[in-house]
Amino acid sequence: MNLQKVIAGFFFILAMTLNFGFVYGDITHPELHNVYELFAALVVSLISTVLKIGDKTQLGSVLLASSLVADIQLIAAVTVWTITEYVSVVNPEAFSTIISLSGGALLANIVSVVLYIGETLKSKR
Amino acid sequence: MRNNAFWLILQKLRTPLLVIIVTYSIAILGMVLIPGMDDNGQVYHLTFFDAFYFVSYMASTIGFGEAPFAFTYEQKIWVSICIYLTVVGWFYGIGALVSVLTNETLKRELMRSTFRKKVLRIQDNFVIVLGYSQINAEIIKKFHKAHIEVVLIDKSEERINHFLLESLSVDIPMMVGDGLLTDTLIDAGIKLDNCKAIVSLFADEEKNLRISILTRFLNKRVKVLAKSTNQDISHSIIDTDIAKVINPFEVFAKRLDVAINSPHLLILENWIYGNSDLSDKALFLPDGKYIVCGYGRFGKALQEKFEKNDIPYIFIDEKRIAPKKMIESGTFIRANPDNKDILIEAGIQEASCLIVGTKNDIDNLSIMITARKINPDIYLIARENTMQEVSIFQEAKIDWIFIIEQIMVNKTSLAITKPLKHHFLNLLLKESEHLANSLVKLLRSNIGDKPILKHLAINKEESYAIYHEIKQGQEVKIEVLQHSLSNWQEINNVIPLLIKRKDEDILLPKDITLQIGDELLLACDKEGREEIELIASNIYELHYAKYGKEKKVGILGKFFS
Repeated sequence: MNLQKVIAGFFFILAMTLNFGFVYGDITHPELHNVYELFAALVVSLISTVLKIGDKTQLGSVLLASSLVADIQLIAAVTVWTITEYVSVVNPEAFSTIISLSGGALLANIVSVVLYIGETLKSKR
Repeated sequence: MRNNAFWLILQKLRTPLLVIIVTYSIAILGMVLIPGMDDNGQVYHLTFFDAFYFVSYMASTIGFGEAPFAFTYEQKIWVSICIYLTVVGWFYGIGALVSVLTNETLKRELMRSTFRKKVLRIQDNFVIVLGYSQINAEIIKKFHKAHIEVVLIDKSEERINHFLLESLSVDIPMMVGDGLLTDTLIDAGIKLDNCKAIVSLFADEEKNLRISILTRFLNKRVKVLAKSTNQDISHSIIDTDIAKVINPFEVFAKRLDVAINSPHLLILENWIYGNSDLSDKALFLPDGKYIVCGYGRFGKALQEKFEKNDIPYIFIDEKRIAPKKMIESGTFIRANPDNKDILIEAGIQEASCLIVGTKNDIDNLSIMITARKINPDIYLIARENTMQEVSIFQEAKIDWIFIIEQIMVNKTSLAITKPLKHHFLNLLLKESEHLANSLVKLLRSNIGDKPILKHLAINKEESYAIYHEIKQGQEVKIEVLQHSLSNWQEINNVIPLLIKRKDEDILLPKDITLQIGDELLLACDKEGREEIELIASNIYELHYAKYGKEKKVGILGKFFS
């Protein structure tokens, strides 16, 4: 067992699960989506990005890229939320944008977790 | 990946980034969770944006104050914890960034990547110069005059900075690095098509050998100019097939040989090197006994020439021992030459020439002063090792000074900048004194003391008209270039010296038909040079030079002809 691998895997999967937890639920109902979960998803996603830096292999680059995609999607979601909340009113339209942006981030997170698991399986054999 | 510097920074900043993210998120989350109180005494919670805004300016120690309302004591307690948490994290991050940026490895890496980009951006042919020394500085200057780009590598950063300081207002790619490593050479562009040569004049000759071998495997088409005075190393260098050995001692010994056998060749050589003009008097070395101080590699090179020309000689050296045969025959004295008695013992009073060739310039000067006192008429030849002391040597009224560094500069730069001149010179050195004498006379009477050497290649770019004419199946003789364009009957001051073809060289060509791909070397004056260029590139001028009449053009021309 490699502690570093455990930590890395933990954060990669946590980023995905938190993201899923936030996105899950009807897209037009703000009460089904917790702001704390979005915050946690963003922070964990940033951490997993930093953990992915430094691996110069082909797979490492793709992992980093997918993580960066997730970050950008989440930051976009947060920005939209902040702006709509303070500048105008959070209407269902704006809220569905927030959810779909984080949904995109979820997809990127799934890709990165699948790649990560694939690599682990390959190295075991 | 190519951009190493960027990755290096990111990798080093991993931990600081993690620390910043974690401390920020803890602080933000705490600020959001702890209830506050607004102006009306109502309980409220900071939003994530409020918290992010507050933590951002708190962590960076900007500190705009408590917002949006004054904090309660619960909040203040949390903030005071957060201050230490985030500010420490933030400073740690900045400190790490600064230390990464000032990191030696990173600096090297950055320098390397800019260097690589600069090398790739060079359009023309270029030469790699290894090591920045006084010799190489002169060589770089000469290359620049000839519009050849240079790439410089030196192991010591100090010397690179030195180059930057006294730089000749030119921007050449340079890098601190070990030129003996393959990676460095590849960075310097040795594998590029427009890299034509590499100059390796290290004093440690093993290094030069190493460079020759590395280059042989990295890129066969690159010429290597390597210094070597050691026979074994020279042979190994020549064996690589791509390298050319520069041995200053051998060069001088050859010159001495030339001076003994055909003084006019030496005049031609000096003229081609640009050291002097043709008006110099031929240097006639005196007959008689030669005394040589120093029996190192230089002495041995001279000995060979003395024996070839049957000149009586005697060597004096304190440190080196000659073969027994020489000591017995009295051609070697083992003593310090800087001594009156020793010089007299060697026969300075009746000797005709003294060659002072030790490694130490001051010794050389001192020996000469002593010798002059004993025998004022003696012909003095002195070796000067560095160019720094030129003025003192000139002051000493020596008949013939040869500067080791100067020889290396001339040899190297001529071989690269003017390969045709170099080729011509090598051909000349095989010829007789008779030819040299008549050539000097011919050049002086027809053109003057300072003829210009003009290089002309028969190809589409340099000589369109001639190329065109030959392509159409017409004959073009070399004499065409000599005709005056103002009056066909007259001949310009132009003397063809050499035609270089793929498989033959024609020295002093006469009545030769030009072929495509020929390279011509002509001696001429300024006017002659202009007209050569006109004839070579302009169809109408060529027609006039060939037939003595204007070329007719267009429908009218066709009608009348």
